[in-house]
Amino acid sequence: MVKKITIFSLLILTAFILFTQCGKEEKSTDGKVQIIFWHSFVSSTIPALNDLIAEFEKSHPQITVKAQYIPTGEALIQKLITAIQSQTAPDISWLHSDYMEDLVDADAIYQMDHFIKGENGISQEDLDDIYPSLIQYASWKGTLYSLPMEATNLALLYNKDMFRAAGLDPEHPPATWDELKTFSEKLTFDKNNDGKYEQVGLFLPIFPAAGPQSGWMVWQWYPYLWQAGGSVINDEQTEVLYNSEAGIDALSLWKDIYTNLNLRNFTTDFDVAFASKHLAMAMDGPWNLPRYKDLLKDIDWGFAPLPKGTDKKATIVGGEYLAIFKQSKYPDESWEFIKWMIKPETQAMWAMKSGYLPIRHAVRDVPEFEAYLEENPNFKTFVDQMDYGIAQKPIDYGGLEVARHLAEALEKATVGNMDVKQALDESAAKSNKVLQEEKNKQR
Amino acid sequence: MKTTKKNKRLYKKGDGFAAFLFLSPTLVVFVTFILFPVFFSFYLSFHQWNMFSNEATFVGLDNYLKMFQSEEFWQVLKNTAVYTLGTVPLNMAFSLLLAYALQRKLAGKKFLRTAFFAPVIISPVAAALIWRWLYDPNYGIINYAIGIFGIESVNWLNEPTSAMFALIVMGVWKTFGINMVLFSAGLQGIPDTYYEAAEIDGAGRWSKFWNITIPMLGPTIFFILVMSMITSFQVFDIVYVLTSGGPLGSTKVLVFYVYEYAFKFFEMGYASAVAYVLFAILLILTLLQVRFMKNRIHTAT
Repeated sequence: MVKKITIFSLLILTAFILFTQCGKEEKSTDGKVQIIFWHSFVSSTIPALNDLIAEFEKSHPQITVKAQYIPTGEALIQKLITAIQSQTAPDISWLHSDYMEDLVDADAIYQMDHFIKGENGISQEDLDDIYPSLIQYASWKGTLYSLPMEATNLALLYNKDMFRAAGLDPEHPPATWDELKTFSEKLTFDKNNDGKYEQVGLFLPIFPAAGPQSGWMVWQWYPYLWQAGGSVINDEQTEVLYNSEAGIDALSLWKDIYTNLNLRNFTTDFDVAFASKHLAMAMDGPWNLPRYKDLLKDIDWGFAPLPKGTDKKATIVGGEYLAIFKQSKYPDESWEFIKWMIKPETQAMWAMKSGYLPIRHAVRDVPEFEAYLEENPNFKTFVDQMDYGIAQKPIDYGGLEVARHLAEALEKATVGNMDVKQALDESAAKSNKVLQEEKNKQR
Repeated sequence: MKTTKKNKRLYKKGDGFAAFLFLSPTLVVFVTFILFPVFFSFYLSFHQWNMFSNEATFVGLDNYLKMFQSEEFWQVLKNTAVYTLGTVPLNMAFSLLLAYALQRKLAGKKFLRTAFFAPVIISPVAAALIWRWLYDPNYGIINYAIGIFGIESVNWLNEPTSAMFALIVMGVWKTFGINMVLFSAGLQGIPDTYYEAAEIDGAGRWSKFWNITIPMLGPTIFFILVMSMITSFQVFDIVYVLTSGGPLGSTKVLVFYVYEYAFKFFEMGYASAVAYVLFAILLILTLLQVRFMKNRIHTAT
């Protein structure tokens, strides 16, 4: 009996110790300051990130950076919520503009002006050198709450071998919507006539609107809306505009391709299908470039700019944004990291290592970077696209729900085969209702 | 009088305190992780809270009004009801049949029982991923199998009409094992004498099953019915992985809807209100069943 009690109390004791140790802070020794950085980089980027941090620590011996990986952006925000409530927020974290509304509302993050205009600030020239679309995305209601760490955009990944086999010019990827449509059909075939395509010309990211990839689908559709001259929402943010003529054109294009290529039956992940030579084209971002070097070794592949629509060329620009949390004990050291991160030299090095795009024009003045662009035409495609890339300005209130309703329209028109105009109009009515309700809440 | 005195002496003074001490670890966990959230969520259902800020705004019955006016809520409720009406009867019939069949002397009985129980202990996410492959329109074994009989392949998970059916089939597969074990236990509790008596009276196999087995299993059936309904109303993980609520929201169920509002839109108040409606539905269903079955079981036994 005594034995049992001893074992039992020992168990309780260990549990107790484990509990209390969890939240314990790591104390800095020898005056060193440790800043904690949360991110969700894809795993192939982690080695580059480690190099980057090592580089920073070399030039800033008094600061160490501890990078903590959280698997997805969605998990990251959920973890941030608990951390903020329990006073254990990181010093710096990746941030998605969709969540800025709530974080600002909770007074959890610093305005960037606090540092930019401070003693250790940066000049207005430096700030203006950053792509304006990124600055817009990093702000909420016109106030800057974060700074970009890197940029991304969407381009068209295509298999040159398949172009040759289909009698297409591999150096002439689809440049217009018409070409996108006709090429994708030419590149799709069912040789053994079993009703299933052995090769599919183009993948379109249609996912369940309620599922985890719904935002990803909407993000990839925006460039087509812009290519047709449309916009997502009016400037006053009182009404969505994606059900305009431009929206109908853009969604009709997707619907036609989806139906013609029978993408309903396309169930493999697009990168797997591309690597196994079942897919000819797909939209993709630069973050996969380091991975593709190995994965696509025996394929002659390339990236092309997204095709021009009925109105103009456009792609969507995104990126990862760094914010500093008010719970941080070392805001100045955290700012030091961000300030170092946006330097042209750092940006050039980081871009070459990670495959992500630089956030500012001045990077082109770094000689190594220009040389790198010459050697890597695929990477150059992305960098060149930055000149006309558009970032979706954050919707101040209810942005997540608006995106969800738009996703429903995309799914209904394609999977549900609903009339495009009807799908968009129904969705717009719901979105407008959300905007109205959110507005009423603010009063 | 003497006996009560004796009984009293079983508990010494201070025993209550000691008992409380022994219970305290469980009690702490229970209060922080179950009792408190239950009440807090009820409180939240009358508030608007995004989880980031420290204060929740009181909005009265707004969340409930919004819910009852929302088309999507009714759609989701209907989906959940369809899933329940699909899985519960299938599940019960199937598990009873298997339990009955495995009652008899059979080679490999133990192995079969274990095999049928296996889906219950497989992680739902892993299981759903496997079923995604089974249902795949291009490579799936199910389409291959029906193809042998000349049936055209079906895109199970990407057609609003078939996705719910596919989900129900998987739901039954995932849970019938536990009910089979419960039925087996119930069957073993029926004394052989009843069957022997019936045999003497010349009862056939069917007649024995209907007139002895089923009535004697009354309480077990009732228990399984209630539990299955509760679990199928709460289905989430397999939906999330198998269909993500799609296509066109045709498999979006109540708990998925709660999850979406709580952790995607950060509308904790609204999500709590929906969760409480789910609770109310389950409570009413259970009470109805208790009333209905009480009479039946009594008259039967």
